Formats: sequence, C-alpha cells, structure tokens
Amino acid sequence: MTTRLIENLRENWLYWLIILFLLAFPFLVAAQTGSSPFGEPRGDRMVMRGESVRWQAVMIEIFILAILAMSYNLMFGFTGVLSFGHALFFGLSGYIIGLMLEYTGLDNGIALILGIGLAIAINGILGLLIGLVSLRLKGVYFAIFTLAVAEMAFIFFGRFALTRAEDGFTLTHVPIWLDATQNRITLYYVALGMGIFTFFAIRRLINSPTGAVFKAIRENEDRAQSIGYNTLTFKLIAITIASMLAASAGVLQVLLNKKVGPELLGIGNTVDPLLMTIIGGIGSFTGPVIGATGLHLLDTNIREATITIGSTVLHVSDFWGLLLGAIFILAVMVFPQGVVGTWIRLRMRWQKFTKSA
Amino acid sequence: MATTLGKNTPILVMIAIITGLLTFSFINSNGDFGDFGITVLSGLFQGMLLFLVASGLSIIFGLMDVLTLAHGAYFMIGAYVAYDVQHPGGVIDLTAAIPDPNLRFPVALIAAILVGAGLGVILERGLLRPLYSRPIFQLVMTFGVSLVMVEIVKAIWDTTIYSWQDRFGLQESFFELFGQQFSVYRLFVVGIGFVLIIGIALILRRTRIGIIIRAGVEDRQMVEALGINVQLVFTVVFTLGCAVAAFGGGIAAPFLGASNNLATDFLLQAVAVVVLGGMGSYEGTAAGSIMVGLAIAVAQKAAIGTAFTVLPSITPMLLLILILLLRPSGLFGSAHSS
Repeated sequence: MTTRLIENLRENWLYWLIILFLLAFPFLVAAQTGSSPFGEPRGDRMVMRGESVRWQAVMIEIFILAILAMSYNLMFGFTGVLSFGHALFFGLSGYIIGLMLEYTGLDNGIALILGIGLAIAINGILGLLIGLVSLRLKGVYFAIFTLAVAEMAFIFFGRFALTRAEDGFTLTHVPIWLDATQNRITLYYVALGMGIFTFFAIRRLINSPTGAVFKAIRENEDRAQSIGYNTLTFKLIAITIASMLAASAGVLQVLLNKKVGPELLGIGNTVDPLLMTIIGGIGSFTGPVIGATGLHLLDTNIREATITIGSTVLHVSDFWGLLLGAIFILAVMVFPQGVVGTWIRLRMRWQKFTKSA
Repeated sequence: MATTLGKNTPILVMIAIITGLLTFSFINSNGDFGDFGITVLSGLFQGMLLFLVASGLSIIFGLMDVLTLAHGAYFMIGAYVAYDVQHPGGVIDLTAAIPDPNLRFPVALIAAILVGAGLGVILERGLLRPLYSRPIFQLVMTFGVSLVMVEIVKAIWDTTIYSWQDRFGLQESFFELFGQQFSVYRLFVVGIGFVLIIGIALILRRTRIGIIIRAGVEDRQMVEALGINVQLVFTVVFTLGCAVAAFGGGIAAPFLGASNNLATDFLLQAVAVVVLGGMGSYEGTAAGSIMVGLAIAVAQKAAIGTAFTVLPSITPMLLLILILLLRPSGLFGSAHSS
C-alpha cells in the first residue's frame, strides 16, 4: 500500500503539487494581499470585494473553460470527431438549471440538485441522440451538422419569450451556500473539484482499453472497424461523456455569473474550447488546461491594461479583437502542435543533443 | 433504369424541394401572383448573394481542402468599401470627382472587388501557404484573420451600422407586374447572379484553368505530378474567391448596408449552403444557394403575422439537417468521399 502511494507520488508529483497549490490558492492570495478569502461582511450579507475573491472568480472561470476544453479534447483530440456544436451542451445545461431554479418554485436546494442532475442527464441523452442520428456523417459534414443544431438552439433561445429572449434572466434563487456573491469560496472548491475529476476521469478513460479504441478511431477509423470494433458505439460513448462534462461546465458558468442568456449557446463557446485545445495541444491531457489558463489569464489581465507611449495612452481593450486574432495566427504559426506538442519536441531534441554530446 | 434514377437523385430531390417551396408559397399568398412573384424574386435575390460567398468557399474547399472561416469577412469588407466609395465623407471621397451616383456605384463595386482580391492574395501567400499540410490549423488561422479583419473595419469605420443613403437610379426604379411593385435592382442582382453561375460553370468546364481546377479537386498530387504549378492555381482561385465574396458584399450593400455582423451571418449561411450542396461540388453549391435563398424568402413570408418569427433565421439550418439526414454527403456530394 505504502509503496503504491510512493510510486504514485513519484509519478504524479507535479499534479499533486498543483492540486495542493490550487487548494490553498484563495488563502495564499488573501495572505499576500491582506484581503479576506470570504469577502467583506456588510450587515448580515457579504460583499465580494478584495483581491482574493476577485482572483477566485478568475480561477473559477478558468476551471470552467478547462472542463469545457477537456471535454472538447475528448471528442476532437482523442477520438478525432470534430464538432462545431459543443456550445449546445454548455448553454442548454445553463438554461436547464436556470429554469429549475427560477421557474419551478421548488425549494432552492432541491431545485439546484435536481437541476444539476437533469442538466447532466438531459445533455447526455441529447449527445447520444445527436450522435445516433449524425455520427454516420463523416468529418466536416458531422461538424457542420452539429453547428446547425447548435445555431438553431441559439436562435431559438434568442427569441423564446419565457426565458426573456435576448436579454436572458438573472438567478435570484441560488442557495446561499453556493451563491457566488455570498460564498464564492464554496463555488471555487466545487469548480476545482469538478476540474480535477474531469482531468483524471479523462486520463483514466483514455488509458483504458476503451481509450485505446478511441485513439484507433482517430488514427484510422476504417482500420479500427476492420479489426472488428463497432466504431459507432465508441464514438457514441465519447460524445455522450463529452456532452455530460460540457453540461457540468455550463452549470458552473451559470452559477458563477448568476445569469442565463442565449450567449451561452453562442458559437463563441464552441470556438473557445476549440482554440484552447489547439493552442494548448491537441490530444494531450494537459494541453486544453494550459490553453484555457493561458487564454483566460490573457483575457482578464491584458484586456484592461493601458500602454503609454510618450504622451499617447493606448487602451488594450480598444484593439483587443485585433490582438486576439494576432495571437491565434501566431500560435498556429509558431506552435504547430500546440504548446504541449512543441514542449515535447523541444525536450526530445534536447535529449538527443545531450546524448550525442 | 435504376442506375439512371440513382444518378439523377440529387436533381430529383432538388426539383422536389423547389417545387414544394414554390407550391407552398403560392398557396400561402392565396393565389395572388403579385405576392408570389415578390416572394420568388426576394428568394432568388438572397440566393444569389449566398452564391457569391458560397461559390468561392466551395471551390476553395474542393481544390485546396481549406474551409476558410475568413470568407464572411471578405463579404463584409466589400460592403464597407462599396459604401465608403459611394458616400461622401469616407476614406475615399469620390463625390467631387464623380458627382453622378449612377456612375459612382460601378466604381464602388470595382473598388470592393480590388480590395477583396488584394486581401485575398495577402492571406493566401502570406498566411495560408505555410499551413497547407495542417488543415485544422488553417481553420483556426482563418478564424483569427476574420477577427482581425472585423477589428480593422471597426478601427477605420467605427462600429456604427451604416444603412445605404445615396440612392441611385437602378435602386429607385420599379416595374409593375400583377399589380405589385418589383425592384429593378433586385432583378439586376438576380441577373448578375445567373450570369456568374453560368460563367463560372463555363470557365470550369471549357477552359484550361477550369480543367486544371477540376482535376485538382479530384486528385491534387496527380496534377502536380503532371508538371502543373498547382501553387499558382491555388493563389488564383483563392484570390478570385475572395474577390467574388467582396463583390457580393458590395452589391448587397444598397440593401443590407454595412455592419460588422455581416461577416458571421453570411459565413454561417454560406457554409450551410456548401455542405448541403455537397462539399467541393460546384453544381451543388449553385443549386443549394438558390434553394436556401428561396426557402428563407418563403419562410419570411409564411412567418408574417404568426408566432414563428424565428422560422426564417433557422430555415437554412433546418434544410441542412434535413438534407444531410437524407444524403450524408450532401446533395451532389459523392457517397464515398469524406
């Protein structure tokens, strides 16, 4: 038992270190900046002010994006199924939990738990159904089919009167212990837990025999089929799991922003995980996480910055889109296999170099 | 018998869908030929605009295996350039040089084409070429280019939505048929669209470069092995595709004005057209554009006064899903290609 533990520690020490760091993160920031990790009390309510809670929000967003990108990577990076409709699962689960909390009149806690369960279950079934109908389509055709389904949902909820169409609605019935404006730190740990679960669940899955078939499908679907695997079944497993994980990310997103709107279903929520996966490294475990962290940190920190050159002051937010576009183009040109792929290649070259020297 | 039927299935499906749409529209307008005519003209007009974006997308994809997500941005740029040249007080002010708005409009269109072509060459030569072997990255890169182009447009023309002010003769004139006013300009755009559909088809079928392009769609390596400079053909085709999209933006501007969201709106619809027509199939794209255009117009007409105001916006997607379920490779796509 102890030897297995030591083995595990030796193999995964970096992951354990990162998890420990993330667990302590709210308190580390609090200690560093002298702010409270719980916000500031005002009367019997809390006000989310101070560096620690601000950083918690940033980190929760990163966890959400990382879960979304990891689930996307499961389909695209490991199974080779390119989908342009990932936002469907993300946004729909947001709507489900929002409707459960605001429109059913159930007790907050029950509505929340029921909502989470329903969001994940419905999206899993939906993913399975979409897969059953459309996975016989190949490559780009499947991608565009999913895009069409997601866009229809986006347009529909943009006009749906019950959910206040384009404006969306805000959540007022979130249980207080999970309320991002009252107890943000609980949401932080819930999101962190979900992120860690997703990371290790996907790693376990891909290292299993099922995962081996996924990768075989990615490399050559015809060959995997001719060996005797029913590739459709395995692709269905991948899309079902990915849609359930994306649904959990959607739930977290809605709980963080306390707002449900059609933009959850927008194409941005498909493009973001796609770009994060590609920039971080397709088909690697850490790639999507690195991509999500990097892009979101860039977004939050550089966007508000100003650059002063002589007497002219430039606001980065004015040319943010330009910068983002340039980053995409540069990332594709400079890191052909994503950050992780480039890292591995550099390390291999270094090993070769030290061996020959 | 069975084989001829199998061969002609796409055409039969197409005829069935178009007939169905027209019949529905005719019943929907209570047998009023004037109403019906307006719906059809509006449908053909929208179809032609779609064709101008989708044709480039389709040929580029067929030949180069690049699904360029920047194509909608070229449409948008075309609209802005045409608007700018036509109206006073823009970047290029020609109101003094060419006071007649009727003459200024063709100049505006030519300017749109030139800008589109110029930006097309830059994108193909500078950014796309290093990525030929990595199709997924081309997707990301062209998306980045699309973002950058929208930002550049914002920097030059601000985020205002421009609606066309400077009306010219063609746009102002109407003709009467069955007691309804028809816009001559729409008819003019539909005419240009048909000329382009047939013109591009003739280029593809009858000229040397057309033969090279069609051969390249079939088997690029073989064409290369025959000693043809495929790189050059790529550049030419990509540039022309971008020029046509920009031309589409310019010609649409008197109706749609110029705004940032033209880029994504037209890209999504054009992608739907290309896919439902069958990727890489020129006939499929032409037929798909007309079908989707008609379907949108019919849906717009049918949705008036009902609760289904959302119908016209989701029509292209509905049609796409329906056709992909019937024919997994699109209408004119070959069954065994992926």
